Amino acid sequence: MTEYEIRELCEAFFDAYESRRVDELDRLYAEDCIIWHNVFGRETTRDENLAALPDGYKGQRRRTYNDRNINTFHDGFVIQYTLNGVQHSGHCGALWICIVGKVRDGKITRIDEYMDSGKFAAWAGIAGRKARR
Amino acid sequence: MSTVDTCHRRLCHTLLDAIERGDLTTVEQCYAPDMTMWANVSGQTSTRDENLATLAAGYGLHRRRTYDDRIVNTFDDGFVAQYTTHVVTHRGVRVALSACLVAEVRDGKITQLFDYLDSGKFRTDGRTRR
Repeated sequence: MTEYEIRELCEAFFDAYESRRVDELDRLYAEDCIIWHNVFGRETTRDENLAALPDGYKGQRRRTYNDRNINTFHDGFVIQYTLNGVQHSGHCGALWICIVGKVRDGKITRIDEYMDSGKFAAWAGIAGRKARR
Repeated sequence: MSTVDTCHRRLCHTLLDAIERGDLTTVEQCYAPDMTMWANVSGQTSTRDENLATLAAGYGLHRRRTYDDRIVNTFDDGFVAQYTTHVVTHRGVRVALSACLVAEVRDGKITQLFDYLDSGKFRTDGRTRR
């Protein structure tokens, strides 16, 4: 894949996440795609990830993936971005996240996600209590 | 002639190796004079001198710290390193922390670092939460 194609794939992935288009995410994941989260320290499959999305989206009124800073390498990308969320209470929160993605034949084959769970309470607007994950 | 990829990879390993063995002279040589570092845990940007002072102060906190399982990818003006920090505390407890470091590079020196990790894995008793 060219640098342009990898960037397009990365942008399409985050646009789909933002617009809650699970069908588009399904199309962008390779069949054997694995998603790893530093917070949980474990890998999930593509199907586990897709199945969890509808419930995950219920947590916030709106989520946008902003300030995207993307760099590409021969078989992947690294994206640094700010996840802005509006909770159902109206509280606005932000998380700074970095994702390293691996790609093959126009699909994403692996995602490694790095974020700070110490920011979850402030993100959810429940500072002082433990945030629900 | 070294490629950009080779140079950036070498710079990345030189930095992590130097931090690992407490060689702040080499760390300093990896940094551009106007280098800054941003950390997702604090949301703050520190200067090169502040970063070096933090590193110096940090060495007394643990018996040993190694930067293992490094996966390095490079791009035109930087690199991204995914790695596991293994710490051995003074009480002999082992701690592992997954981290990601994104670097911007200019003329063979690091101009900016972005550090991503999970502060939820920090525990005062020296164990990690899984």
